[in-house]
Amino acid sequence: MNKKSIFFTLLMVAVLSLSACGPAPTATQPPATQISATQVPATAAPTVPPTATPPLVLKVASTASFETFDPIASFSVEAAYMPNLYEGLLRVNPPGSAEKYMPLLATSWETSTDSLTWTFHLREGVKFHDGEPLTAAAVKQSIEAAKDHGGAGFIWAPVDSIDAVDASTVVFHLKYATAFELIVGSTYAAWIVSPKALDAFAADATYWEKGVEAGTGPYMLESYTPDAEIVFTKNPDYWGGWTAGQYDKVVVSIVPEATTQQQMLEGGQADLVCACLPTESLPAFESNSNYTVIKDKSFFNYIAWFNTLRPPLDNVKVRQALSYAIPYQDIITIAVGGLGTQSRGPVPTGVFPWSPDVNQYTYDLVKAKVLLKEAGHDGGGFSMKLTYTASNPAEALFAPLIKDSFAQVGVDVTIEPLKLAEQLALGRRGATGEDMSLMLYWPTYADAGVDNLWSLFYYTAKPSWNLSYWNNPDYQSLIDKATTSDQATAQPLYTEALNILVDQAPGVFFYEPLSVFVIPNTVAGFQYNINYPFTYYFFYNLHSAK
Amino acid sequence: MTAIPDLTIEPEVQSTRTFRHVLNVIVRDPLSLASTIVIILFILIAIFAKQIAPYPLEGAGKTNVSNSMLPPSWEHPFGADKLGRDVLSRVIVGAQPALIIPIGVVLFAVLIGAPLGALAGYKGGWVDELIMRITDLFLAFPSLLLAMAIASALGRGLEKAAFALVISWWPWYTRLVRGVTLSLKERYFVEAAKAIGVRDSVIILRHILPNTISPILVQATVDLGTVILAMGGLAFLGLGTQPPSPDWGLMVSEGRTYILTQGWISTFPGIAIFVVVLAFNLLGDTLRDIFDPRQYR
Amino acid sequence: MNKFEFILRRLFTSIIVLIGVSIMTFLIARVVPSNAAELYIGPKARPEDIARVTKQLGLDKPLPVQYAVYMNELLHGDLGLSLGTKRPVLTEIRDRLPATLELLLSGMFLAVLIGVPLGVLSARWQGKPLDTGVRIISIMGVSMPAFFLGLLLQIFFFRDLHLLPLAARVNGNLRFTSPIVEMTGFFLIDSLLTRNWVAFKDVFLHLFLPSVTLAAYSIGLIARMTRASMLEMLEQDYIRTARAYGVRDAVITYLYALKNALSPTLTIIGITFAYALTGTFFVEVIFNWPGLGQFTVRSLLGLDYPAIMGITLFGAVGYVLINLIVDLLQAWIDPRISLK
Repeated sequence: MNKKSIFFTLLMVAVLSLSACGPAPTATQPPATQISATQVPATAAPTVPPTATPPLVLKVASTASFETFDPIASFSVEAAYMPNLYEGLLRVNPPGSAEKYMPLLATSWETSTDSLTWTFHLREGVKFHDGEPLTAAAVKQSIEAAKDHGGAGFIWAPVDSIDAVDASTVVFHLKYATAFELIVGSTYAAWIVSPKALDAFAADATYWEKGVEAGTGPYMLESYTPDAEIVFTKNPDYWGGWTAGQYDKVVVSIVPEATTQQQMLEGGQADLVCACLPTESLPAFESNSNYTVIKDKSFFNYIAWFNTLRPPLDNVKVRQALSYAIPYQDIITIAVGGLGTQSRGPVPTGVFPWSPDVNQYTYDLVKAKVLLKEAGHDGGGFSMKLTYTASNPAEALFAPLIKDSFAQVGVDVTIEPLKLAEQLALGRRGATGEDMSLMLYWPTYADAGVDNLWSLFYYTAKPSWNLSYWNNPDYQSLIDKATTSDQATAQPLYTEALNILVDQAPGVFFYEPLSVFVIPNTVAGFQYNINYPFTYYFFYNLHSAK
Repeated sequence: MTAIPDLTIEPEVQSTRTFRHVLNVIVRDPLSLASTIVIILFILIAIFAKQIAPYPLEGAGKTNVSNSMLPPSWEHPFGADKLGRDVLSRVIVGAQPALIIPIGVVLFAVLIGAPLGALAGYKGGWVDELIMRITDLFLAFPSLLLAMAIASALGRGLEKAAFALVISWWPWYTRLVRGVTLSLKERYFVEAAKAIGVRDSVIILRHILPNTISPILVQATVDLGTVILAMGGLAFLGLGTQPPSPDWGLMVSEGRTYILTQGWISTFPGIAIFVVVLAFNLLGDTLRDIFDPRQYR
Repeated sequence: MNKFEFILRRLFTSIIVLIGVSIMTFLIARVVPSNAAELYIGPKARPEDIARVTKQLGLDKPLPVQYAVYMNELLHGDLGLSLGTKRPVLTEIRDRLPATLELLLSGMFLAVLIGVPLGVLSARWQGKPLDTGVRIISIMGVSMPAFFLGLLLQIFFFRDLHLLPLAARVNGNLRFTSPIVEMTGFFLIDSLLTRNWVAFKDVFLHLFLPSVTLAAYSIGLIARMTRASMLEMLEQDYIRTARAYGVRDAVITYLYALKNALSPTLTIIGITFAYALTGTFFVEVIFNWPGLGQFTVRSLLGLDYPAIMGITLFGAVGYVLINLIVDLLQAWIDPRISLK
């Protein structure tokens, strides 16, 4: 049956069953059965002989679904699951771990003294889920595909060429030095994918749309029902092996509402929920000994740009005055129920190159008024247009707080919620754009120097993200140097740049929200990893503690 | 053709008689009377919102962090929302857009739809065919779905949502007025006017349109309720009014997160929508009884 | 004009309208004020990526060419790729349709089940307190915003009475205890066919509040319109004659009049469908129902224009077809009405 006739059969089914006001016997047409086909393993469960032990299942409720199954293009919420299906060469461990990196598909690696040549030695005997062996050629092909058309392909910008020296050795030649391990450990555009699948995609652009995967990870995709359910099943041949207590299956229910997730966690319909429970519900979990509540730093940062092309925001004193007029603590209280800390520049705590030596503004209306007067704007007397991302509930809550506080220093603010794409488009219009725009930002991979500091405030005439149009030669040259150095050399340069940034205030650095996890005592092995902010759980690390 | 002197008088006489008759019926029917009073009350609230609201600034959007999530009390009869704003004041200030914008929407829909309908009905032939096929095109979409698609394409905002609703509502009036015009066309005063050579535009303006006012009024009263619902719905989904403006539908949506613990944030604006729409619908129902006696005896 | 001619003419106008509808949805989608390619690959895209995707999506071609391509794909059953999910829009619609239809049908079923008798009773006891009561109830039904009624029902039946689930289509644990074997995609029927009573009860409980929320508006509408058409029927000559001959009132109402009021009731159901369809958007959002409504709202908010186009078109096509079928059925039941 071709697509066209399916379409019309479907319409007719819909229409007939409606007009008949009852079940349509014709509804067992291919469209319907095709959906159920993906669920065959689940429905076959009852036929398992009663003597067999039932599979150990982890039930997760999450907001995240798959926006794409293409591991190369992946640049969105599917990151919640990708690291369970796919692996990179290494994983970046959370700060404070004994080892900075966890070897995955590479067992070891070394770099030349100039940091320009990186050699990775691959794990032996690893197979992709489709049976293909892991080879250096597969790694080269995956990374080159990502570099060419990956959603986050830009992270590979420093790479000049990749050599598959032999079956298990890959060499990367860089154009300039960088914190390369952080790129290799990225959660986007760094997955190693079966060459068979990559070739299939090259031949048929709809290959990934079918809902398939071809990784090496500990779990495999069993079924996917849009907006409803994702089922993962363990990869019995996983190179890491399996121990008792690890989960055989993971069933993810897609639940957009935080309140519903809370109900599911409390009612046992879910073992784990993604880190998005209503903050009001946390005290109850904290006082319940059956749960552990974990609050930790996050990868995220709320910032704003001042459009320095638009007077009076071209005046540094005006920008400083407004930075003093932000009610930082009220914002944290209202927007995230106190679960956040004031930022030090646009780098989240716990992410390179954050530094405690970076300054912060306080909430000080007197200072703000004095600065405005010095700038020649005694008593304010100008108005500003502020935009924020409409889909972000926190920004919707704190934008009015900014408006009210600026009003107290005589600055009139008009708030305009926009879709992210519209907000960026307006910001890119230069002097005819908005005055101030709020943004939730996070680095693509665990390097906020190359990403946040460059993307958000490095001047380019036609910016994609630096909507402040701020151009400071000292900052520019520090960033130029730091982004082409290894981590140790770069850190002091970044700290200096950050202090220039805070002092010159081309933007506002509000707060970083905390990541909050509520883990029932029946699930053990959870460890939060800030470097993978959208991967709430690495299923392989978890085991049942019942 | 002896009735020429009566030409302009007949329709007018009828409309004054009807108006008095309408008042009579409404005053006698307790439900209609109550609805009328509720509508007038809400219109007054909308006009004098700034004077009536206990905290007019909070009504307009000013935050008051220390009052965040206060439950209903004497000082804040409807409680306070997440940003500490008095919900009663928000509901009162929100009455303005909730009533005035839908009135504007219906008015524009009538202004576009009615003349086209009269033209189509009066002219007939290809003009009728053309206008009615375009109308069919718009009516082929479920109205709210069309409005949603247009609102989303235009971008967010109250004005854009209102515009989207006008676009998807006018065809209903075209269809209605065309039907009335078709029956009027046969009436002797129109035929007489035609016979003595009165221009078509004059006939439509002076003889046809005035006689369509009653059915339009009935339809418009009911539609006001529907449009208020639609505006609220668009705002609820995030396609209408944007925060921090006070809007009933938006307020229901803002309070939705706290529905199980701080229900008052959603409940009171929701009740406001319900009551106003109910009043318009009850009144519209009575008006329909009066103007369409065949249907309800 | 004979019956055959009428059907042909009706089919012909439907096709003309559908062509117009396709142009209109296309134009609406092209008004979207942002870069589709950028939406497709995300805000951090490099200029060269945007250029590549623009070409891939065919957005670099002139508008009439884009429309031709779109129509050609449409006729081959291809509604394009969703920018948000990167899957074919048709697949997205198809996967979500059973959930929405189950909701829509149960809502409509409830509306007819309650609305028609209310209307009949109301007409039978015209002017009596019962009539007034029905009038108030039905007007309340059409005045209640679905997005508010849903929340109220959640507060009352979930939070206060602990009687019904808050949201979702089934309990998450069901797949481990008594999984539903999908045959029709309608869970209620699937569980019934397989005698899976545990699942049936669970599905029923989950379906209850969303259906009631969806039905409220239609109940009011159907009751009002049934009453009106019943009254009109009671005025007809043959009913008067029957009365004059001493046939009992109740028999007249329930048998003669109702039978003849059936055809206007069909029209009503056609009209109600449009309200119910848009009603599912709110109901699905509130009750986290995994259907077309949620997908629609997400696409509208996310400027996913191929999805918006696909759904709008799908909704309009469904609506046109429903109206067509209603008209044809009427022509068959009561030739007098439609051939006018």
